[in-house]
This record gives sequence, structure tokens and C-alpha cells, in this order.
Amino acid sequence: MATLDPTPKSFAEKLQSVPKPVLYLVLFLLAALPLFFPVKLPNKPIDASIDFYAHLMQLPEGSKVLISSDWTNSTRGESMGEMEALLRILMRKGIKFVVYTTADPQAPQVARDTIRKIADEEGKAGGYRYKPFEDYVILGYYPNGEGTTSAINNKFLSICEGKKDWPENSPPRDVLQSPVLQGIKSVSDFKYLIMVTASSTNTVVLERVTKAPLMFMVTGVMVPENTTYYASGQLKGLCGGVKGVYDLETLMEDGLNVEGPHKVLSEKYTDVIPGFPGKQNAGKGNAYYPSLHFALFLLILAVITGNVGMFLSKRKGA
Amino acid sequence: MELLAQLAPKTFWNAPNGSSELWVKIIIAFFIGIGFFIGMMNVPTQMRRPIVFTVTFVSGLFYFLFWIYPAPINKAPEDAPRNTLEAFSFWISDSQAVVADLTNIIASFLIGLGIYSLLRVHLGKIKKQQRDWQFSVVLIVSMLAMILFGYVDFYMRLDPANSKMAGSGYVGWTFWQFGRDLLFNGLLQNMDAGMFSIVAFYILSAAYRAFRARSIEATILLVTALVVMLSLMGLVEFYWAQGVDSAHLSNNFKLDNVARWLRGNVQTPAIRGIDFGVGIGLLAMGVRLWLNLEKTGSAS
Amino acid sequence: MGQQYLDNGWISILITLTMVALVLFNILRAHGGKDLFIRRIAGLNAIDEAVGRATEMGRPVLMVPGLTDTTVNAKTMQAINIFAYVSRVAARFANPILVCCYNASTYTVAQEIIRDVYQQEGLGDRFDVDSVRFISDRQFAFAAGVAGLILREQAAATFFMGEFYAESLILAETANSVGAIQVASSTELTQTPFFIAACDYVLIGDEFYAASAFLTRQPVLVGSLIGQDWCKLLIACMIFCGVIFNSIQLSGGSHHTITEAWNEGKMDKLKPKPFGAGDTTVSRWLNPDPAKDTKIDRPKLPKDELPAKAPGGGN
Repeated sequence: MATLDPTPKSFAEKLQSVPKPVLYLVLFLLAALPLFFPVKLPNKPIDASIDFYAHLMQLPEGSKVLISSDWTNSTRGESMGEMEALLRILMRKGIKFVVYTTADPQAPQVARDTIRKIADEEGKAGGYRYKPFEDYVILGYYPNGEGTTSAINNKFLSICEGKKDWPENSPPRDVLQSPVLQGIKSVSDFKYLIMVTASSTNTVVLERVTKAPLMFMVTGVMVPENTTYYASGQLKGLCGGVKGVYDLETLMEDGLNVEGPHKVLSEKYTDVIPGFPGKQNAGKGNAYYPSLHFALFLLILAVITGNVGMFLSKRKGA
Repeated sequence: MELLAQLAPKTFWNAPNGSSELWVKIIIAFFIGIGFFIGMMNVPTQMRRPIVFTVTFVSGLFYFLFWIYPAPINKAPEDAPRNTLEAFSFWISDSQAVVADLTNIIASFLIGLGIYSLLRVHLGKIKKQQRDWQFSVVLIVSMLAMILFGYVDFYMRLDPANSKMAGSGYVGWTFWQFGRDLLFNGLLQNMDAGMFSIVAFYILSAAYRAFRARSIEATILLVTALVVMLSLMGLVEFYWAQGVDSAHLSNNFKLDNVARWLRGNVQTPAIRGIDFGVGIGLLAMGVRLWLNLEKTGSAS
Repeated sequence: MGQQYLDNGWISILITLTMVALVLFNILRAHGGKDLFIRRIAGLNAIDEAVGRATEMGRPVLMVPGLTDTTVNAKTMQAINIFAYVSRVAARFANPILVCCYNASTYTVAQEIIRDVYQQEGLGDRFDVDSVRFISDRQFAFAAGVAGLILREQAAATFFMGEFYAESLILAETANSVGAIQVASSTELTQTPFFIAACDYVLIGDEFYAASAFLTRQPVLVGSLIGQDWCKLLIACMIFCGVIFNSIQLSGGSHHTITEAWNEGKMDKLKPKPFGAGDTTVSRWLNPDPAKDTKIDRPKLPKDELPAKAPGGGN
């Protein structure tokens, strides 16, 4: 039988004990509503994102990069936006790529779907449509992450042996026959190893890959850890979480040091690095950044509310 | 047969496809494996520890040498070693992939043990009709359905005649492909994402409950966290920076500059310090395990 | 072969071997009967309290040795080491335990070790084989499974130690919601803040590796711990020296420029690049350039040992 609480809660106590369902409901609404009513928020890209963008944009056409796609649908809110922004830049710059994963057996399929989607999007927009096997190769999943990463550094072609990929509408073929891998003898023949990761594979690559410059795209929660590697120069660029994606999309729209109403200035780069105005630049970053914005606002509000409640009850008790 | 083209250079660990040398190596490996298996089953209990020690030491020694011994520079597939030192370097470099495969094979055998544990716990629960036994039925049915659809779909896709299945759309798909798609993409992946999104709610409730300025240290932590969170909010950052002259002292107090300073001068060194400690701890633990100095589970 | 040593970064190998030597030397010292001091760690003092409370409440102690992929590694072994101690205390109190494993290798090793612990205590008959369980090797399926167990079994004490990722907060908040006393530690720094927010005691950083030395006081572990501290001193000295040398080299560096191409893209070939932190001697020692363009004239393998030429190769 329920009993009535004889002493009603004071205001300070109420502030400290907002029921969880209320908090969850407000968070749900604040995170969900911006998805239906998109707003454009001002943004100033951080140095790590600018470096990431600038390094990619400075690559000559026809270069090759190695992508470690270590994410699945569970982190698609962040990682898919990163992958899409990366693919848009690579495809528009005519850079070929090889994709592998050591994190999850689901990852190659998720990467394949995303690449196909962006390739179709670019094709429909009048650009060149990337073809599997001809313009990119997916090596698949490797269960032994540490061993594979060592092998990538010491003997890259050994991880390609026996691997097959599907050219468009034809049976699988040995990846070593793909034009993308022609001229590749070592991992140092790739301009960059770019990791799109939501798992601890980042540290394995940092420890073991010494022959190719690294750039990472990580989830928001991994940013503090990876900032140490960016600060030490081990990473040439770093794109972190939804904010990182929004930074890249802002740079793709406005360019770097390009005159215009939303000029993005960089102290580090004096050159003008153009964007892709008029193209489909807005993606998951533009879509999700307002949600992140309002969720952070709620988080700050909740923390302040709890603390105000605590101070009020302390003063009352004193 | 294009698909069977042997592209790997010859090493100690392989041989050309279909050659008698390959068969001899397979048969020798098979008998060594069987002999090892029988030997392990009949070994006296007191011998187990030395065997575990030997296997651990030899496996560790391989990776130790792989890491410490100079790797061959720019080795082309057709290159032969110039001397014994380089021959050893080639051997280690070639063997690494084989050792990695061995690890995977042993780990995949252990999956059987994991499935045995699952079935044992949940079949037992169903048999005894213990509390919530219905969930165990769901688990076992889901597991079997995923294995069945996953395997049949995988097997069908291996057939070159079904290559269209990998293309866009649903060209050439059958009941098995639709079934796998429903289970894998329709259910599993979305449930994964659903579980992950719960973290957002838990972050809010945990921060609301625990993030209180109870001491000076906690207050510093709280203020720092607020600054970093505010710096991630473009709108706040934009209005904070309004009217600030970049040549003025106040420029240092722009939100992005304060956050950058915190990241570069407080957070990064702290994380690095902890990382060094963790790395050294891991190194010491690895050495103790490798040299059998660790008496796991021993009493004080 | 000298070139190859440079390629491998011999100085990093030398530093690592020095650290190994320091650890082994201190293990020998401890074996020699030298009494070595280690400080108290609050989270570990709480273990007995947590198990005792679980016993009073008649509810189980739940342990998760991290989410290590595929095989058992040193982090998992360390977590299982700590859990062996927890299980020993629980066995003495006849308290039920639950060890939830993320992969089959961990499950096998954990079951062997926990069974050994019960047998060493002479309580082999109290060991329930189902108390060590394989749950799932999919991250969020595992999180859902363990959260379900915590809620159904109403765990009174939970220990999360080892590698944890995004599921850390799901596990810790669920345990918090049933009022469990929680001791946690993550080797992944990104998850430590979440544990701090939701758990009662957290072992931060290398406290995780110090735990077994603190709990068992075995000379090998205590000696190793002191050796680790010596290693930290070594690294601190190196950082200090690095700061001094780099500062001296960079102080007159404003007029220094290097004109060589600074990456394969040769994008800056024609532009002088300022002498940066990455160009100092110390930095070059620690980050050797792979000898990419070195051509080595080696004899060739006989043709029958070469790989078959693949037909229809790409262009």
C-alpha cells in the first residue's frame, strides 16, 4: 500500500531530484526536434579539422590513400557523417582508395553501402561515378588486428594475397589485379592512412604504422585521447565527432581563406584552399549538429540546476 | 583458373597450389596436430604448467624477435637473402602472417566453447522453466536463425553465377538474402544503434547526479567541463566572440581560445601522463606473463 | 644491416629494453627479501566491503573482465587476476558470483582460474560452472545481456575492470539503478570519466596494474610495481632532457629553413619550410625515416619458386 510522504520536498530538493523520465523526455525532444526543423548554426572549424581538410585538398589527382573503416551502424550518427564527408572530398579530387577493417565483421558491408551511396550521389550530380574494383577496393575484414596492422606496415601486399572484391556486375576477382593496387608495393606508397574508427584500433595503428602519414576520424568521446597524438604530430589531421563533420562540411562549402560572407580564416595556412560551392556539401554534420548543440545545452542546464539545488540546500542547512 | 592463381611468393610456410610439396606439408602438419592433441590429453596434471609456460614463452619469443629483429628493407617477392642474418629476417617477416592465422584458428575453435556455455545456461533454464525462461527461447531461436540465414547467404554468394547479388538493388535475391537482410540490417544493426543511443540518456542522468561542486577540485573540474562544452556550441561561441578585437588582450578569453588552451595545456599532458603509466603497466604485465613470473589466481 | 636498425628505430628498442631490465631487476630485489613499500589504493580497500555487503544482502557479485577482442591479452589477464581475489573472498563468504565474458577465450581462461581459486580454498563443491558465462561477442548485445543480468539478479556489487568502450556507462548506470556498490577501472582512458560519474570507486590509469600487487603482496608483483615507478622516472628524465635539447636547437631556429620535400606529395618542394619541432635531432632519433628509397641489390630466387603470374591482371 502506498504511503504519502509527510514532508513535501523543498524547492532546493526538487532541483536536485528531477525524475529521470522527465530528463530523458526533454533530451529526446531537444535531440529529435532539430532533425525535423533544420537550422544553420554558426561554426568556426577547429585547427585539427582544418589540417585534415587542407592535407586532403593538397593531394594531387590520382593519388591513393588507404582507409581503415572501423565503424558500424551503432556509431553511424558520427562515423557515417565522417565517412561521407571523406568520400565526397576523395571522389571530387579523383583520389583512389583501398578500404580494410580490423574492428568488426560488419564494417566492410557498412563501408561498401556508404561508398556506393556517395558514388551514386556524385554520379547523379554530374561528377564521375566511382566504380568498385576500378576506383576503389574493399579488402574486407581481418580478425587479428595487431598482426594485420604489423603486416600492413612491414609487407602491405601480404594482406592483399587471397583477397577478392566484386567488380561491378561481375564475379569476384583477386584484389591484386585491381588498377587501384597497381604501383603499390608498400604502405608508404599511399599518401595517407586515414582511419574512420569508433574502436581502439586507433592505438594499434599508431603503435605499428610508421611508414605512412596518419589522419584519424574518430567519435566525439575519443577526441581527448587522440588530441594528444595530433598535438605531438603523430596525426597530420583529426576529425572528431559531429563537430568535426560539421567543420569539414563548413570547409567544403566555404573553403579556407576564401573571400566570402562566411570566410574561414586559418593562421597556419596562408594559401587559399577552395571548397566545393554549389555541390552537395551538407550532410550528417549539418543535420546532427543542432541536435548536439541543444543536447549540450540541456546537459549544462541539468548540471547547473543540480548545483544550484545543492547550494540552496546547503545555505538552508547552515 | 584465375581465382586460384597463386600470387604469394614461396616461403617456408607455403607451396605451390596442387604440388606434392604442399600435400606433404599439409599431411605433416595434420599428424603433428593430432599428435599434439593426443599428447595434451594424456599429459599428467603436474606437466601442464611447464607446457603452458613453454607455449607462452615460444609464442612471446616469436613476436619479441619479430619486433626487435631488423625488418627487411624493400624486399621484392623475387629477392633471395644475401646472408644468414638476412635469411632469418626474411623468415620472421614471412612467418608473421602464418602465426597470425594460427591465432585466428585457435580463437575460432574457442567460439565452440562459448556457444556450448550459452546453450548450457539457456537450455538448462528452459528445461527447468526458471524465471524468464521465455527470453532464453528467444535467444536460442535468434542465434539459430542468424547462423542459418548467414551461412546459406554466404554460401550462395560464393557462386560466381550469383555475382549480381552484391550489386545495388535486390537483383537476384532469394528468400535467404531477404531473410539475412531482415535479421542483420533490419534487426541486429538497428538494435545495436538503439543500445548505443541509450548512452546519451545515461550521460545526462549521470552528469546531473554526479557533477556537483562538492570540493575545490570538483569545482575546477566542473568549470572546465562547462567551458569545453560551451566551446562546442557554435551559437554560444559566435556571440561570445562578438566585438572582441583580435589584437586586444581580451582575445585570449574568447571561448575557442580558452578551450584550445585547456585542451593543449591541461588535458593533453594529463592524458599523456596517464598513458605512460598504463603503457608501462602493460609492458610489465606482458613481461611477467611471458617469463611465467605471474602466478595467476594465487593466494597472498 | 646497420641501415635496417635505423629503420627500426633502435633507440625506441633500447628504451623499452631498459624498462624491461628495470622491472626485472626490481623483481629480483623483491625476491631477495627486500621490504618494498606500496601506497594504499582506496578502490581496492573497497573490495572486501563490497563483497561483505553482497553477502549480507544475499545477492550476487557480478564481474566483467572487459571487452577484449578475439583473444586474451595482458589487460584481460590482469582483470581476471583481480577477479580471482574477489572470487576468493566471495568463496569464503559462500556468496554467489557471476563472471560475464565477452569472448570465448576469456571465458575459457576465467573459468579455469576461478575454479582453481575455489579448489585452493577447499571449496570446490561450491563452484557453480554456470557462474562464469559467455554472454556475446557483439558489443551492445553483450551490454544488453549484462544489463539484463544485473537487473534480474539484482547484483549487490559489480566489478568492471579491463577494456571498456561505449557500453561502460550502460553497465555502470544499470548497476547504479539497482543500488549496487561499484568498483571499476578502464584501460581505455575515454571511458574513465564515465566510470567516475557512475561508480563508487574507480582505479585510474596504472592503478589497475598495481591492483594485484596491492591485493596479494606477492614479491614478484610488488617488485614489478617498483620497477614500473623507476620506468616512470626514466621517462620523466627523458622528457626533461628532450625539452632542454629541443629548446636549445629551436631557439636559434627562426632563420633555419629546410628546403627538402617534406612529404611524398612534394607539395612544398619549392617552398622553404621552417625548421620545426619534428626536425630536431631528438625527434629524428625517435621518429626514424623509413629507408624508402634505399635500393638493395639482392640475389634473385630461382624461377620455380616465384609466384605464378596472374592472368588478366590489372593495368
